[in-house]
Amino acid sequence: MNSCVQEGGGGARDATQHEIRFHGRGGQGTVSAAALLALAAFEDDYESQAFPKFGSERRGAPVEAYVRISHVPIRAHNQVYTPDAVVIQDSTLLRSEPVLQGLKIRGLIVLNSERQPDGFNDDHSDFRWLCLPASRIAEKYLGRPLPNTVLLGALAAGSGWVSLSALEQAVTSHLAKKGEDMVKVNIEALREGYRFASQGEEVAS
Amino acid sequence: MKSLLEGSRAVAEAVHLCRPQVIAAYPITPQTHIIEHLAQFVADGDLSAMFINAESEFGAASIVLGAVASGARAFTASASQGLLLMTEVLYNIAGMRLPVVMVCANRAVGAPINIFSDHQDSMSVRDAGWIQLYVESNQEAVDTVIQAYRIAEACELPVMVCMDGFFLTHTFEPVEIPQQTAVDEFLPPFHFARALDPSRPMTLGGGSEPDNYLEYRAGQHRAMEQARDVIEAIDADFSDHFARGYGGLVDPYRVAGAETVTVTLGSTMGAVRDVVDTLRENGMAVGALRLRCFRPFPAQALIHCLAGAKRIVVLEKAFSAGAGGIVTGELRAALHQAGLATPVEGVIGGLGGRDLTPAVIEAIFRRAATGASSVACRFADLNSDAAPST
Repeated sequence: MNSCVQEGGGGARDATQHEIRFHGRGGQGTVSAAALLALAAFEDDYESQAFPKFGSERRGAPVEAYVRISHVPIRAHNQVYTPDAVVIQDSTLLRSEPVLQGLKIRGLIVLNSERQPDGFNDDHSDFRWLCLPASRIAEKYLGRPLPNTVLLGALAAGSGWVSLSALEQAVTSHLAKKGEDMVKVNIEALREGYRFASQGEEVAS
Repeated sequence: MKSLLEGSRAVAEAVHLCRPQVIAAYPITPQTHIIEHLAQFVADGDLSAMFINAESEFGAASIVLGAVASGARAFTASASQGLLLMTEVLYNIAGMRLPVVMVCANRAVGAPINIFSDHQDSMSVRDAGWIQLYVESNQEAVDTVIQAYRIAEACELPVMVCMDGFFLTHTFEPVEIPQQTAVDEFLPPFHFARALDPSRPMTLGGGSEPDNYLEYRAGQHRAMEQARDVIEAIDADFSDHFARGYGGLVDPYRVAGAETVTVTLGSTMGAVRDVVDTLRENGMAVGALRLRCFRPFPAQALIHCLAGAKRIVVLEKAFSAGAGGIVTGELRAALHQAGLATPVEGVIGGLGGRDLTPAVIEAIFRRAATGASSVACRFADLNSDAAPST
């Protein structure tokens, strides 16, 4: 449990709800990332929900997925329009898709990029940018630039909404069928994303 | 213990628990995951059933027809054009009074082609003689599949469990998968008294002449009429066994003292509940009712819950072009028959996957509360500029 999260939940139903929107391209594991986050939140004893917005299902096409994390049962099955955080797996989407639309004031942006892009913070929304070279880190562990688990680690550190251990458990159960090696390297990628976001630096391998 | 499962996976687990002996299907989005999971269970040896990849939905429906006619418990699933391709067989299954259970992963019907959710597919086969139950959540989908076999086998009528494509089938949410022993206790093995048997030859669905066809059809209607009590009783019994129930035919929410009540079906109800809570906090006397059982149409249950309302809105994801909302028309008729002149506004929305957002739902409530109502059907969240004029 984290200080960001109000305890008790006696007020309005959505008072303790976090909404996260994932943006990526087909083939980047965007839908899996959302499922992993929801699994981790559930592991941490929250109510959670994840679902994808499928368009034409093809490699490279923009993909969205949504997650809700709550203290109370989640009844709505709507898409997420005013997220508390967005996770952007491909920085080129910033230029082509409305990835920041509806993001709350002080909302968290976890971006797969070496640096914060110019020209995206001039509306006084005071967004919190968390930029990390997730593809490069992923390449190191997975041998492929699949940024999703790295970004999940960073999101956990940057938001405090789920624990790293819960994410590790989610990765272990979700990827079990793909073998122990796949689980191991993804957990390493997850941990490095988490360390990077906690310490603001990439840990040398 | 609850687990976080994708809706399709959860439903496949529920079907597994019901011990089907024959599963036949043809893939179509957004139903495919259900069948893929079942195929996996069979391939892994976890489920002892015959899994048959059909050459079409027509074939899949025909296979489960034959399987149940010979006394096997069977399952199939489809959606959209796939369900429409089954139509002829759906009528035959119902006419032969075969307790087939299927899931419809509700999806829009083309043209234009659209893979996303609305209720046009299952609503289009409303006259086929199938019981239709629309579910709100994945937990209800799981529980309703289990109930469906009991209902079907008790009434000798087929049951279609309608769950919204993507909004439910592709959503991960917490679901409790019941224990096998508990399901076995609730759902005994299928013994079909009329099962085809070579040692006792008979014909199912044979020719019928003008002097008895009408009686067969009237009998089908009578069985549907009697199914209402069975559906309610089995939901109550399920609640005794599993501590979860869904109101049987209808699922009212804060209708006591409500002046404006919105009636809807399926997963949209979750957001409607949230909006009702918000508006109630603002002092508006609103409520909602979810039509869980669409066939048989629960006129009495609806009237019982809606008698106190001053105005009713029906928010539905299907319509009959040139007539309007399907549930809207049937509810108006039921109210009229009961001597109630409550105005009913018909609102069509959420077609082809268009999200019925809390804002859209709130606007529907607010407009209705002003008393603005008409017999014409209205489309919610319609972008008039984009609608083609011809």
